[in-house]
Amino acid sequence: MKNRISQLRVERAWTQADLAQRVSVSRQTINALETGKFDPSLPLAFRIARLFNRTIEEVFLDDQ
Amino acid sequence: MQARQETGGYRDSNRATFRFFLWTLAWLLTLALARFGPGLLWDEQQEVASWVAVAANLVVGIGWIVAFARYLKAIDELQRKIQQDALLVTLGVAWVGGFGYVVADHAELVTGDINIAVFPVLMSVVYLVAFVFGYFRYR
Repeated sequence: MKNRISQLRVERAWTQADLAQRVSVSRQTINALETGKFDPSLPLAFRIARLFNRTIEEVFLDDQ
Repeated sequence: MQARQETGGYRDSNRATFRFFLWTLAWLLTLALARFGPGLLWDEQQEVASWVAVAANLVVGIGWIVAFARYLKAIDELQRKIQQDALLVTLGVAWVGGFGYVVADHAELVTGDINIAVFPVLMSVVYLVAFVFGYFRYR
């Protein structure tokens, strides 16, 4: 599943570590999400979308 | 739908990891005590001392299991997936390898006896390799 996490994060001048701290996960998890190696659970996806003031659909893109 | 780790989750996971490390250390120490204590620290004929050492190892082992469960709950979802994959491979190898050995032994295809201690050591090595593989896979 593609996502816009990296773009939204860079727009706010946050590092991966900053974002990781804000959503209470490890930096490795943010990196794996941004590179598309790992899909988040629904609670984490909501947390990330809420942090960016977006809907889930605006952050996570269905690539099928 | 409320995220359990919304606040302080990462800090909690570090604390749970440290506790799990301490329990692992304690379990290894009691294991060493139960294994090398008889003969080294007390006379092998003193069965009570040996039973106490074995009991201590089992009790600390239960604590280790609880600490591991808490650790798995505390870590974030990617770390949990890495652990889950490593445990899956370990269980699979133990199951397939263990039963493979049993049937081969039953068919008298195995000539020598394998020390039972090899089994947990093999599981530990498989788990470590699978964990490191998972860690680098998602790095």
